[in-house]
Amino acid sequence: MWSRLTYTFRETGASLRRNVTLTVAAILTSAVSLFLVGGTFLVQRGFDNLLSKWAGGVQMIVYVQPTATPQQIDDIKAVLSQDPSVVDVGKLQYLNYEQSLAEAKRLFAGDPSTFSLLNKTNLPTEYKVVPKAGKTDLLVSLSDSYGKLPKVFKVVLARDQVQQISKLRDFVQTVTVGLSVLLLIGALILIWTTIRTAMYARRREIEVMKLVGATNWFIRIPFMLEGLIQGLVGALMSCGFLLFFNRLWTDGVVKLKGENGFTALVVSDSFLHLVMLMVVLFGMIAGAIASGIAASRFLDV
Amino acid sequence: MIRLENVTKIYNSEVTALRDATFEVNKGEFVFLVGPSGSGKSTLLRMMNRQERPEKGAVWVAGRNINEMPDGKVPHLRRNIGNIFQDYKLLLNKTVHENVAFALEVIGRPKHVIRQQVPAVMDLVGLAGKENRFPHQLSGGEQQRVSIARAFVNRPLILLADEPTGNLDPGTGEGIMRLLDRINKTGTTVVMATHDQRIVNMMRKRVIQMDRGIIVRDQARGVYE
Repeated sequence: MWSRLTYTFRETGASLRRNVTLTVAAILTSAVSLFLVGGTFLVQRGFDNLLSKWAGGVQMIVYVQPTATPQQIDDIKAVLSQDPSVVDVGKLQYLNYEQSLAEAKRLFAGDPSTFSLLNKTNLPTEYKVVPKAGKTDLLVSLSDSYGKLPKVFKVVLARDQVQQISKLRDFVQTVTVGLSVLLLIGALILIWTTIRTAMYARRREIEVMKLVGATNWFIRIPFMLEGLIQGLVGALMSCGFLLFFNRLWTDGVVKLKGENGFTALVVSDSFLHLVMLMVVLFGMIAGAIASGIAASRFLDV
Repeated sequence: MIRLENVTKIYNSEVTALRDATFEVNKGEFVFLVGPSGSGKSTLLRMMNRQERPEKGAVWVAGRNINEMPDGKVPHLRRNIGNIFQDYKLLLNKTVHENVAFALEVIGRPKHVIRQQVPAVMDLVGLAGKENRFPHQLSGGEQQRVSIARAFVNRPLILLADEPTGNLDPGTGEGIMRLLDRINKTGTTVVMATHDQRIVNMMRKRVIQMDRGIIVRDQARGVYE
């Protein structure tokens, strides 16, 4: 067992050294592509945060003053339910103080000082209103009257901010997903080529190994380890990029602090770490599998 | 030990390399396969360690039909078969010792076994003291001895030799033959393809003569022609 391990590491190390140029190319390409993959997740998460209060087809939010009594809150619900042909009553949702606070936490991720000022006396609770299909315009025309109900703080409509942001998100997502897929393919092709070159350089050795009865797995594993290391190093570099650009982004967004709600574009550290972990695992596994397949492809001696 | 039954091998569905070959090699036998280039000698050898599979017929090695053996078992079959080639197939970036140890290493033999078996086989092939040389620092005959050491270090049941003296001068070739004879006397079955008349006539072993893929003669204690 021990001699197999030392054999594997020795061969992997020798192979990596022999192919420096290709190895570096494969690592850099995987780093950039994995950075874009991770970046896609982060950007998407930022937009999701920003749009989270509008998730599920919500087109209108009625904010209720924190001083409203339960009776007054029920009265508002009764009015909102008056037009079942316009408002989808089944999807009408009330967020109490705790739920509103949880939502605010996401929206103020980049602005913890503002978030810390929120409490039961100043945080409005909210009704989320989903219109029946095709009835958005009617809902909009009703919104003024909802705004005049007692204890309603304000009424906010999705069309004012959401639609532009959604379009922007779709565009950014298409571009980052497209680019990362292209670059990932490039990275895999480079890893494949590295392994094929390494195997070609060692074809004599592999022929001898097969003739003296080495198993295919024994021959394959150092190559798979080589691919795994390339993927791992690339992924670690991409994690560095992700950390750096996320920091840059967060700093920029925090400076926008204020009423605009863009602080929601900041991604929490725990999510960033999750994305980094995913990227590392993905890089390692994809590298190992690509080289394993490449090695098998050239093992017929 | 080895039995071929009506073996036919066709390359690219037109070139018939072997036609209906049937013979048996007993344990401990020494057999020459002779015939001109392209007569099917190498193909026969390559059948015996499953480098090739016949279109028709069966190849039995140590009681098993190796054509029906699953791919996963082939490495284990090959651990019982040593191979020697005209061009030695040594690894040029490894020393003599490393070349021989490599054969044990890649089949997962532990270090202490390697430390014990490599020097023993070095003694046997007459290369003791040259373990740390590289192949290019050795003569052709010495390189062939390294390749024999590598083929024999795992004590295989069968040794397949494809023109092992083809690149050597007559005197050196005779030395290699004496070594193969000694290995044969330890009980290892040896099958050797050659067109070296002198050596075949000198050894007086069983001769199987091939011509255009057909066995035309199978003679005990035979001569080349």
